[in-house]
Amino acid sequence: MERVDGYAPLRDYALIGDGRTGALVARDGSVDWLCLPDVDSPAVFARLLDAERGGSFRLEPVAPFEVERRYLEGSNVLETTFITAEGRVCVTDAMTLTDTRRLSPLRELVREVEALAGTVPLRWAFEPRFDFGRAQSRIERRAGRWIAQAGADAVVLGLWDAGDGELRNGGVTGELALAPGESALLSLAAANREPALIPGRRDTEARLESTKRFWPEWAGRLRYEGAWPDAVTRSALALKLLTFAPSGAIVAAPTSSLPEWIGGTRNWDYRFTWLRDACWTLDAMLRLGGHEEAHAFFWWLMHASRLTQPRLQILYRIDGSGHTEEQELDHFAGYRGSSPVRVGNGARDQVQLDVYGGVLEAIWLYGREVGRLDGDTGKEVGRIADYVVEHWRDKDNGIWEVRDEVTHYVQSKALCWVALDRACKLAAEGLIPDRAGRWRDAADEIKAWVEEHGWDEQLQSYVRAPDMRELDASLLTLAVLGYDSSRLRSTIAAVERDLREGPYVYRYRGGDGLTGEEGAFLTCSFWLVDALARTGRLDDANALMEELVGLANDVGLYSEEIDPRTGEFLGNFPQGLTHLALINAAVTIADVEAQGTERAA
Amino acid sequence: MISLWGALAGGAVGTILLTSGLRIAQEVGVTRMDIPLLLGTLFTDRRGRASVIGYVLHFANGLLFALAYYGVFRAVGHAGWLFGAGLGVVHASLAGGALLTVLLPAVHPRMGTPWTDAEKAPLLEAPGFLLLNYGRRTALWTLVGHVVFGAIVGGFATGLY
Repeated sequence: MERVDGYAPLRDYALIGDGRTGALVARDGSVDWLCLPDVDSPAVFARLLDAERGGSFRLEPVAPFEVERRYLEGSNVLETTFITAEGRVCVTDAMTLTDTRRLSPLRELVREVEALAGTVPLRWAFEPRFDFGRAQSRIERRAGRWIAQAGADAVVLGLWDAGDGELRNGGVTGELALAPGESALLSLAAANREPALIPGRRDTEARLESTKRFWPEWAGRLRYEGAWPDAVTRSALALKLLTFAPSGAIVAAPTSSLPEWIGGTRNWDYRFTWLRDACWTLDAMLRLGGHEEAHAFFWWLMHASRLTQPRLQILYRIDGSGHTEEQELDHFAGYRGSSPVRVGNGARDQVQLDVYGGVLEAIWLYGREVGRLDGDTGKEVGRIADYVVEHWRDKDNGIWEVRDEVTHYVQSKALCWVALDRACKLAAEGLIPDRAGRWRDAADEIKAWVEEHGWDEQLQSYVRAPDMRELDASLLTLAVLGYDSSRLRSTIAAVERDLREGPYVYRYRGGDGLTGEEGAFLTCSFWLVDALARTGRLDDANALMEELVGLANDVGLYSEEIDPRTGEFLGNFPQGLTHLALINAAVTIADVEAQGTERAA
Repeated sequence: MISLWGALAGGAVGTILLTSGLRIAQEVGVTRMDIPLLLGTLFTDRRGRASVIGYVLHFANGLLFALAYYGVFRAVGHAGWLFGAGLGVVHASLAGGALLTVLLPAVHPRMGTPWTDAEKAPLLEAPGFLLLNYGRRTALWTLVGHVVFGAIVGGFATGLY
């Protein structure tokens, strides 16, 4: 792989993680992104956002090399094989799970090196930059280990048969060369607001082995019998890495400010949970048999939104708090010069009415599966539905979080209909207090509004908004979420005509209050698959899905967007919504093939 | 004169006020702190049942703490609403700094901790330091609630003099 100005193509990254944070490992063996201790904490490695100042943990052959890599079968443990003229060496990267029976580091990244053939000299460089490089850090050798620390954070570098390392330019560097059959181990044990743990080799290896055992066991519990099983399983494994286990929340992506266009300004922090994704999340989890995760996520959803209910904030921190103030890191250049680099997300204060459709759909899916909702939860859900009745006429920023003026987005209104429709269904099942008469009247009113103001006779399609007579790929969600209309087929055809280029689908062509371009939005492509399957175009759905599965990177991951001209990944990576949409599209196709369109809808 | 029965009566009244105050704070959107739910879910994942169990446990805890306050009053030979309020600050520090933030997550079968990893799917998020995960003003309400509790126990223990 070739780096451009020190930056690896986003396609060349793989994610490893432990359910609390995640690291991005490039094909050349460099860990270029790691936030500690949690996924939304400041980064200690952020070479992804500044090749010079960001910090990284590199491990690569000294001589020119080629790379083969893969995740271990059904696992989030990464195996990278470097091939040089001298031989082959394999590096296994993982973030280990906590051994509850023994004292374990708060977080631990392990890199196991095994010589396969010949003797391949390797070099490594540990260059931590705490708090996105803003903190004054110190590296010292204590207790026979290199310990980097800044404030309440510390990282202990464990080296076994990997050389002693020497302090150089604010980092520690070293070299190693292993004969065939020999192995070395490098580890980072992180501490935060507690004494650092100095793990031994045997304990570290034991945690690595149990981590290797855990992932295939977890993946083996997934329930899916359809086409593209590898892509579905990989997506589920990726989502598991995006799940913040201590609270059950799921981040949209583990990264911040990866640009939607190289050199552009559309660089956002995605290390939060968007409530809109709730329905896709619950749907995917329940459809794959991930009941424990679905249960945990539902509890998080209802608990996190408690402070603002019945109004729902569009995004929340993974610990459930709502403060997500946005700031810019001026000292970072940004990925390939794409600035500003932002942490925090100002979209929190926007009004996005589609959220209510997503959340009520999620509650409906959960309630239907579990068969009961607690009394308090039921009352809260009823109040949310009442709020929709009172506010569906408001203008909003829409699903795409347009930072321009608010308007009446058609997709938002249709999802308000979805919200009230699901509330009626929940009431009919006796899961929430029954105010279905009021909710059904409002739903009918919304539907009449959508049909009158949201439809364009000339385009033969619903449009983005009454004052924006253009196509919007988010309208595909109307088909996916069961909006009741005979106009969906022609809307889908119009979206294909105006927004689709091969397998790629753009969100919209019009403005959004921001300058610059953006790539095609991968989630929209999978929504299109889903919509096609649900409206009887199964062959088209299968064909498109086949193409889309081929767009993943070498380890099966997707970013948010893609440049159709080059195939380059854009936006935060890996993107949860893309993987959720992939799973749901594949399961819909499987359902339709097995049972027909009615059941899948 | 320091009265055991007065302290217990103060504990009962104080706990009712503390619990009600936190409930009001929840309802007006100040905090997501729900002590009965946190305690009750030690035993069940059904919300309704958990809240009932939690209220009983919290009430019992209030009486136990009133006994502890009484022990302190006797040990120093002084009580009163002001001294009780001071103990309330200590009580709030213990609750917000250790009991609910460290000890409860450590023993709670359904609560996440900073060490919870991908192997588990807990149902409840941990309160975090000073209970800040449940809303920024949670610590303030907890402090005020416990100061009121302490003042009532102290006042009742001395016959409200």
